[in-house]
Amino acid sequence: MTNMDKYAYSSKLKQTAPMKKLIFAMLALAVCLWANSVLISVLVLFMMGWCTVCKGGAPVALFIKLMLLPISFLIIGVLTIAINASGNKDIFLFSIAAFGTHIGVTKLGMHQAAHLFFKSMGAVSCLYFLSLSTPLVDLLAVLRRLKVPKLIVELMGLIYRFIFVLLEAAETMHTAQSSRLGYADLTSTYRSLAALVSTLFIRAYQRSNELYTALEARGYDGELSVLEEPWETHWTEYIPPVTVNLALFGIALFLKRYAGGVL
Amino acid sequence: MLMFILLPQAAWAMHIMEGFLPPGWCISWGVLTIPFVLAGVFSIQKTINEHPRAKMLLAMVGAFAFVLSALKIPSVTGSCSHPTGVGLGAILFGPTAMTVLGLIVLLFQAVLLAHGGITTLGANTFSMAVVGPLVSFATYKIVQQAKGPQWLAIFLAAALGDLLTYVMTSIQLALAFPAETGGFMVSLAKFMGIFAVTQIPLAISEGILTVLVFNAIAAYGKDELQDLKVLSKEA
Repeated sequence: MTNMDKYAYSSKLKQTAPMKKLIFAMLALAVCLWANSVLISVLVLFMMGWCTVCKGGAPVALFIKLMLLPISFLIIGVLTIAINASGNKDIFLFSIAAFGTHIGVTKLGMHQAAHLFFKSMGAVSCLYFLSLSTPLVDLLAVLRRLKVPKLIVELMGLIYRFIFVLLEAAETMHTAQSSRLGYADLTSTYRSLAALVSTLFIRAYQRSNELYTALEARGYDGELSVLEEPWETHWTEYIPPVTVNLALFGIALFLKRYAGGVL
Repeated sequence: MLMFILLPQAAWAMHIMEGFLPPGWCISWGVLTIPFVLAGVFSIQKTINEHPRAKMLLAMVGAFAFVLSALKIPSVTGSCSHPTGVGLGAILFGPTAMTVLGLIVLLFQAVLLAHGGITTLGANTFSMAVVGPLVSFATYKIVQQAKGPQWLAIFLAAALGDLLTYVMTSIQLALAFPAETGGFMVSLAKFMGIFAVTQIPLAISEGILTVLVFNAIAAYGKDELQDLKVLSKEA
């Protein structure tokens, strides 16, 4: 996780206005979901991959590793959809007889599963483009501009900062426990984890109290105001990302009409 | 350095991944979740107006939930998975506050850990941050009313909250992908069957862990628990 955050900060696209990146990624995501076509999904995947790796400067290996991350969920989910049971053997492409019925894969199930697989991969690549090029702090600024309730954005900002504090504490405790064989067997693992989690909780509680005291001493009156980075954008800058996605949309429309949903 | 606890091993089972749901369902679940989130925002706002300290505490709890989801707990069958912290949070802070925190944590998991996704945020929030906490909270209250022992109340609250989160996830998947032969119910049975294998042991593990954690907090953090009453009272 800290890794993805690190790459977002060191991305060559960090200086690009976050709103632009968000619009680009979200439009591509929408087209990918709407089109439900293997070709469009692969196009989106390559487009996002190219933007992340060539434009953003993230290592190719990282991108590929990340793309493989959700694959176990995907395979199980897709197989669940593809595999069906029915008394009628004829509807299946291939099937085995078991439990007095037939279990197998139908043509429609196979088709649906394949589309879903590529669609998800394409969608995930959009998400990765965003998270590998835009630090969360920038995204919060966009959310603020989009008039998301102030309380939520403020809580998000605070949570983001606390995550690192607590992660460090958790890691230190975990190291200390492991070096004393705290995770040697199942019983001690439970005991160690319970100790870790409860200590972490009490720590977090105390920290939040201290933080409040510290803030109050500096004139906190219920609002954390920070200066935002001014992103100077002209509306013409939004033309390229929107055009690319419109083109994708056009291809998708064309495919829907003439290829009959096969691709 | 931090990666060792962060390897999202076996954590996939928790959230529906990006792009898995058709657009119609993404929007429907999102719309369905909005009233719960708004209710949560209002209830948090009210608490904060009365106790300004609560904002920092809630933010800490959100971060705590995120860090929890990065830990691995050994499941009773030997495999590992991660705790949700939903039960613990719901008992301590009440279900409405957990909805907002859950939404934020899920968004962070999508962007920082690549668990779940932005389009499936509505569906995931509904199962994990609306249904889970509500079930946990209700279970806890019911067992308490019935004068059951506290450890049992906590165990059941955490385990059932966990379990029903998966049931909800299965329902969401089955609704979006009804089976060709037999429709929704058959599809639900398929998804539930797959989740049950991994999630029943996990729910039991989380139940045990939550009881242990709660006991430890009660033993070492009495004062903190007293203060927390402030938050859970209004929920």
